[in-house]
Amino acid sequence: MNSYQRVMGTLLGQPVDRLPVFAVLGAYGAKLTGVDLRTLYSDAAAYVAGQQAVYAQFGFDLVMTPFVYTALSEAFGGETAWSEHQPPNMKRPGMLSVAGAIKAPLPDPQTTGSLATVLDATHRLADIFKERVPIIGVLPGPGIMPSLVVGMERWMETLLFEPDLARQLTDHLTPFFVAWANALLDAGADCLVITEGMASAEIAPRDLFQARVLPLLSTTFPQVRGPKVLHHTGGRINHVLDLVTGLPGLVGVAIGSKDSLAQARALVGPNLNLIGNLDNLAFPSVPDEQIYQSSRSCIREAGAAGHYILSNSGADIPLATPPENLRAMHRAIADVGSRSGAWS
Amino acid sequence: MNAAELSNKLFATMIEADRSGAARIVEEALSDGMPPQQVIAEILDPAIVRLGKQWEEQTMSLAQNYVASKIAEDTLLRCIPKKDERSLNKGAVVIGNIEDDFHSLGRRSVGLFLEAAGWEVHDLGNDIPAEQFVEKAQEVGASVIGVSAMMQTTALNIRKVRELLDQRHLNGSIKLAVGGAVFNWRPELVAEVGGDGTAHNAVGADELFLRLRSETGGR
Repeated sequence: MNSYQRVMGTLLGQPVDRLPVFAVLGAYGAKLTGVDLRTLYSDAAAYVAGQQAVYAQFGFDLVMTPFVYTALSEAFGGETAWSEHQPPNMKRPGMLSVAGAIKAPLPDPQTTGSLATVLDATHRLADIFKERVPIIGVLPGPGIMPSLVVGMERWMETLLFEPDLARQLTDHLTPFFVAWANALLDAGADCLVITEGMASAEIAPRDLFQARVLPLLSTTFPQVRGPKVLHHTGGRINHVLDLVTGLPGLVGVAIGSKDSLAQARALVGPNLNLIGNLDNLAFPSVPDEQIYQSSRSCIREAGAAGHYILSNSGADIPLATPPENLRAMHRAIADVGSRSGAWS
Repeated sequence: MNAAELSNKLFATMIEADRSGAARIVEEALSDGMPPQQVIAEILDPAIVRLGKQWEEQTMSLAQNYVASKIAEDTLLRCIPKKDERSLNKGAVVIGNIEDDFHSLGRRSVGLFLEAAGWEVHDLGNDIPAEQFVEKAQEVGASVIGVSAMMQTTALNIRKVRELLDQRHLNGSIKLAVGGAVFNWRPELVAEVGGDGTAHNAVGADELFLRLRSETGGR
């Protein structure tokens, strides 16, 4: 059973040889191949070489399209801050007013430089890994995407205090969100992970999510053709799980490390996939034994019921993470996450 | 309606994200003849303190922090529109996001609450090198430097501020407050980066800064 079969089997609730295991290792590819992060994210060939190196070294059950949201902010005219130690951040948004953003033309994913690079990398990943290793596309959700266009503060202010204007902006951006999601699928992504920051308890309370963001997910998800996973972005998501379980095409939810797996399962029912629960921030700073034990704990709690993928909870695992800490997840899977280990 | 009742109503608007409702309460107080300084001291301040107590030991979402801080800012601007006329009697502080960090919203909320509480806030902005924090603090006579970071990677850059304060023997006169999402997630990081203290949310910044100022011998 290859990684693709294992992950797709898990998502569909079919028997698999062992629990799948994910780790978000986009930037880590640069560490393995010796390129700087700017090159990694600006050159499709360099990015794909990084993913090949990550897969060859660790054998996690996925490869990822570039997890680089500055590609989106740049597409809207934003400026990027590059770092040697972490994926780039938006330094300045492209649009300085919401009113201006509503009037601005939407970028074409196929011809806008930074977006085209992501699609090129996705095509290349598909050429190498299609139906062997799942290709996971990553993109921001429609509730947080405006922050990449007008900046977080301006978007938060608009969302909170000018709901009509906020709706106009999300209405304007929705076709781009759908086009970008479908472009990733057309380029070869097997499944999309949609990181919706507004679904994180650390960013927005439940009532704000329910009133302003959930309707966006409900209207956009049916327009995105492939299977979708909702991701918390870095925080807790259990507080809204009961609201999202019926979203069209939703096959899974990535939960936070401070969310209870048992509570998440109770909230989503037996058939929706849960992904994650390992603390991202622990990876660079704790002994591999701790990652191993945490992984075992997750597998014991959630593995037996199926529909579970062991994974870090968050964005990129920090570059300072020792390789043995990543391998500890595999050790735990081998010890308790295989059929012979009975996942217990 | 007396000041305590108005403060209770203002507190409710902060919880409910009702910015225009908050503005009406402040307007009502002013039109009834309450002096602007009294509106701040007896309506805004108690509401902020109560909010801080309600959220003690809990994580306020970024949105909730932002709503409350904007209501505080609106109230300040309505009552005392000119910054130099405000009573900034708690002394100077310097805040900013550390080098490589561009997540400014939490820091902006902290700055607004500190200013509402009577601090002279020097907000340096995003992506600030350690040297700039320390030099600005020395220039303005700040007793506390508040450094914000959202990510663990960038939080580790705060160590440079700690090192500079120690190298220049300023650790007794300038305290280092650290904050941001990552510190709520991993409280042990405060000590790892050499922070002298943190607050769970923006509302708690005033109390933290007062404590740190007292540790410098200031009052």
